[in-house]
Amino acid sequence: MKYYKYLIILLFISLYSCIGDDIVEDFVEPQLRFITALDTIGIDETIQLQVQFFNNVGRAEDTEVSWSSSNDNIAIISEDGLLWAREKGEVIISATINYEGEAIRVEKVIAVDEETIEVPNERMGSLRSTSSYALKGDFVLTSTETGVNLAFGEDYETDDVLPGLYIYLTNNPSTVNDALVIGEVTTFKGVHNYEIDDVAINDYSHVLYFCKPFNVKVGDGVFE
Amino acid sequence: MKRILILISSFFMFSSVYSGGGWPQPKGKGYFKLSEWWVNADQHYTLGGLKDPNVTTGLYNTTFYGEYGFTNKFTGVINVPLLSRNVVNNLISGTTNEIITPGEAINSPGDAEITLKYGVFQHSAISISASIIFGIPLGENAGGLAGNLQTGDGEFNQIFRIDAGIPLGGNDAFSAYGNVYGGYNLRIRGFSDEIRYGAELGIGIFSQKLYVTGRYDVIKSRNNEESGAIDGSFFANNSEVTSLTGEISYQITSKVGVSASYGTALDGKIIYAAPSYSFGVFLKV
Repeated sequence: MKYYKYLIILLFISLYSCIGDDIVEDFVEPQLRFITALDTIGIDETIQLQVQFFNNVGRAEDTEVSWSSSNDNIAIISEDGLLWAREKGEVIISATINYEGEAIRVEKVIAVDEETIEVPNERMGSLRSTSSYALKGDFVLTSTETGVNLAFGEDYETDDVLPGLYIYLTNNPSTVNDALVIGEVTTFKGVHNYEIDDVAINDYSHVLYFCKPFNVKVGDGVFE
Repeated sequence: MKRILILISSFFMFSSVYSGGGWPQPKGKGYFKLSEWWVNADQHYTLGGLKDPNVTTGLYNTTFYGEYGFTNKFTGVINVPLLSRNVVNNLISGTTNEIITPGEAINSPGDAEITLKYGVFQHSAISISASIIFGIPLGENAGGLAGNLQTGDGEFNQIFRIDAGIPLGGNDAFSAYGNVYGGYNLRIRGFSDEIRYGAELGIGIFSQKLYVTGRYDVIKSRNNEESGAIDGSFFANNSEVTSLTGEISYQITSKVGVSASYGTALDGKIIYAAPSYSFGVFLKV
């Protein structure tokens, strides 16, 4: 009879192994970011400016934005972000939101001239490994008609030993939460690219490499 | 990474059940044990032998082990994880406390082993045995939403092993022994074969009621298969480990006793870098 006690204890311990919690330190500085890629606006033209707020875990949040212009004689901006260019010169356009009691502000210098010039639709960066697995190479993100193109050069290299290595676009390099899955990595060395639809060039701040089945971060790269 | 748990599980269980070493059971004698073994790891050794973090993953096995002497030379051994539970933790945001990735768990029988052991040479100075061990894939090899939970590796394998046991002296109150072994694990389905070897030192005290044993075990991959490509997991393959295990067994009565062990990997490749623990109740007949 006494042996049953041991049996019960053993089985109990086996079943007691509950699912625990691992804490991910995923704080990022809240950020208000210009989405509209504009350098110069033509006189008498109007352009709708857009900003996006990303909270302390990099998640996009809709929030009320206050717009202002440093010089209404050069360009006026409406409370909805519609910019109207009036005369030649430079103006600082500011967008401000309130997040958890603090004002978060972003500014952009915009020139008013003969015609509208959009800034080059290109962002670059370099991969770095944050693990023992290899990850390196430069990348370029460019706008396309349907979204963006993410291209890697000849210096790109990563390990092919990981099961389920995935590439993401994200605003929080610590987690794949809210990240956009580009796809499973199938090229481990050299030139290749990804066409990503319905994404604007300023939507994300990082490229992220994650071992998806095991939630292990391999490395990242920030868009400069 | 996918196979790490399975490797370390089978390895430590394998090494722990061969404490008999070069000595087969006498005819009609047996040793039976019900034990709990577990490992819980938040980091692993990479292919390059470095340590990287991972989501905390645990494997818990409730195992029945039995060996019985059919003759003075032939011993049959069975090792069956009756219940194996593989657990992966939740990933929780430290900023918002929300669940980023929910954890998972699977429960099933684990991979079993059936062994035939033959006493090749028996002498007061040395005893040599040869064993063939058949791995039976009773466990789940691709459970959970992502197929990354496992209680077995899904392959039939055969291990050929030679043990040499040496009595190191003693009397009614004290005894000691040493054992060395070498083995070859023949694997299939795209897994590399393995070379296994190790040594064990055991000391019995308090009229041999209390046994303290230490084991040194090594698994080296032969790297003769490029990939365990069955499920796309490279981690299924070419894992290696060098480990130390300490075990204490206490005989409560002439037939019944309890044991506990602690094992740790000294180095490794593609294997969890975390200690394993076990305790059990055994019966001698």
